[in-house]
Amino acid sequence: MAHPRILRIDLASPRPVYEQIVSGLRAVLVAGEFTPGEQLPTVRQLATDLGVHHNTVAESYRVLAEEGWLDLRRGRGAVVRQRAEPRPITAAKHGFSRHLEELVAKAITDGVPRAALAGHMSALAKKLAKP
Amino acid sequence: MIPYPQLIFGAFMFAVIAFCGWIFWMLPLWSRHGTFFSVTVVPGFRNSPEAARILRGYRTEILVHLAVAFALVIAGAMRREVVFLVLGVLWLTVGPLIAISRGHARAMPHAVAHSTIREASLVPRRTKLPGGWLLQVTPFAILLLAGAYVSAHWSQIPDRFPVHWGIDGRPNGWSVRTPMGVYGPLFFGAGLVALISLLGYGISHSARWIRTPAPRSDSVDPAHRIALVLVGVEFFIAAMFSLVVLLPLTGSPGVAPILILALGMIVCIAILLRWQSQGLAASASLSHPGDGMPDSCWKLGLFYYNPDDSALFVEKRIGFGYTTNFARPSAWIILAVALILPLALAALTIVNHHR
Repeated sequence: MAHPRILRIDLASPRPVYEQIVSGLRAVLVAGEFTPGEQLPTVRQLATDLGVHHNTVAESYRVLAEEGWLDLRRGRGAVVRQRAEPRPITAAKHGFSRHLEELVAKAITDGVPRAALAGHMSALAKKLAKP
Repeated sequence: MIPYPQLIFGAFMFAVIAFCGWIFWMLPLWSRHGTFFSVTVVPGFRNSPEAARILRGYRTEILVHLAVAFALVIAGAMRREVVFLVLGVLWLTVGPLIAISRGHARAMPHAVAHSTIREASLVPRRTKLPGGWLLQVTPFAILLLAGAYVSAHWSQIPDRFPVHWGIDGRPNGWSVRTPMGVYGPLFFGAGLVALISLLGYGISHSARWIRTPAPRSDSVDPAHRIALVLVGVEFFIAAMFSLVVLLPLTGSPGVAPILILALGMIVCIAILLRWQSQGLAASASLSHPGDGMPDSCWKLGLFYYNPDDSALFVEKRIGFGYTTNFARPSAWIILAVALILPLALAALTIVNHHR
């Protein structure tokens, strides 16, 4: 099992680095790896370890703060917030279903076995069901 | 006067050069697994016959450079020519660097693509300096105490006193009883200690931490360990310059500096051997080849220059510890300051020597 408090990016990916950081951090936060009040690394530390520009990490932190995951205060760094569950938006739900179907179709096209996909999704479902 | 001075000096220089030789001999094997002579290679490459051939060539060159350096130093001592001594020290520094660059060039054909995957721990790092501020200010306090002692015994200092001795134990460099002549070494020592302290602070705060799969305990945090070693160096420098300042009151240092240096070398060997068996072994289990840094950014296999990397301090690829990213302007400031202080010391020594 991979270490849960690890952020991984791929510099060769066509996806912008700041997006990779946002989605990687968001996944860790959704999984409940951090409790509210815990600190994330400073912008400088994360940028240095990932070998990217400070502004890239700062932008990612800002996006997550706007989503309500982080509290950014000068001198305190990035602190994980107790995030209130937002009201579900119908369009977002439909968008997610469509996006998931497209993602599964792409994975099957790329040769990922259906059974493996089902296994991954089942594990994810179990993880989400946990309080 | 010291009995058999030439013999003692020759044996001492042989020990110093043998110590340097041992470090250069081992250096390529102390780097992170997955790199060899600053080149990204497949894991296990260093056990291949090709790697053995490259290493053999490098070590042969090292032996030649050490022999030349030793000959120059001994010739300098026998003929009493400072130029030969300086040349010997220069050869001991530059020769092995050339050997490393040649090893790097020979390893380049075996390079594999470096991983584009970067991983970072999301756990905030401990960035406190080892021992806290109390340990950091102690070397300054040692220098201050030495200064206070000399000040209290100012009247006992001769108007002209020796500050440098030849290999026969006879003084050959002099200073005079002025504030700069007496306290100068203290200011210089304080400058060196401050520089090393700043380096320790920089490394513990802004060095890149390459993640290894095995969980790391605090005791093997590489940046913290380097900062700890730097504190040790600060104490050594403070003790040495305090000794120098007390010389006008105590007279010839005799064999004390040789014994202190020998002790320092033994401690260094113990630390290096311990690190080799401990921290570096953890890097063997890395999931990606290399350290994520492109080979093309390692100029001559020695200097890191990567404008796309925000890190100022990165892990060395030859030996261990940290080096600066020369694409960052602050790296040049650090280099300039680090060069100016030892050069100033060398200039002072030469000036005193000829006074």
